[in-house]
Amino acid sequence: MFERFTDQARGVVVRAQDVARATGADRIEPIHLFLAVAIGDGVGGTVLRDAGLDADRARTAAQGTEATVLAALGVDLELVRSRVEATFGDGALDPRSRPGHLRFSTAAKRSLQETLRSAVGLGERRLDDAHVLLGVLAVRDVGVAAVLADQDVDPLDLRRRLIACRAA
Amino acid sequence: MASPTDAVATAAAADDPAVGLRGVRALRDLADRLEVLQVHAARDRGWSWQEVAEALGVSRQAVHKKHARSRKEP
Repeated sequence: MFERFTDQARGVVVRAQDVARATGADRIEPIHLFLAVAIGDGVGGTVLRDAGLDADRARTAAQGTEATVLAALGVDLELVRSRVEATFGDGALDPRSRPGHLRFSTAAKRSLQETLRSAVGLGERRLDDAHVLLGVLAVRDVGVAAVLADQDVDPLDLRRRLIACRAA
Repeated sequence: MASPTDAVATAAAADDPAVGLRGVRALRDLADRLEVLQVHAARDRGWSWQEVAEALGVSRQAVHKKHARSRKEP
């Protein structure tokens, strides 16, 4: 599948690995693909910015997703962290960064399948970062949804913009 | 600026299984990280693998397989 990716789209996949690693994730998730598009200068990244998304703020919001879903259960991650660090030292609860290549999560793999599907659906042979973004939006990931909602970016509007930029 | 909690609440209703399942996963991940810290602390204090296993409610083999290598113990 990757042989049909443009350099731009390949860059997204490589950056997604870096983004995932920087946040201590053990897998590449759809949100990492999303952020990789957002910080890139491809068509998809440009459409995202035109839709009103700030990449830095998106990154910050993405890092808060774990704390947010735990808070919904009544678990205060910061409180847990401070207690654990009191016993085990600073940073004890931080995820360990994994050596080697990070694998794609099932949802991220599905995003890439949807990337291919979106290009086929648009009758295009080459896959660029806009297709990757369409693929990510197609899997309706909670982390991506939270980042979009944080900045009032409507996923349906974003999808329309992405498809419109292909037609132009 | 909306807080991240508001963002998730907006993105998906509180009864959305996608949010609930993500919460389960976050709890499990948190428990795993706590387990590593506590198992290492227990071993440092001389607990046997059997004692650690009983405290965790799992078999000695399971706890040994999961943690011995990260501690480079036989």
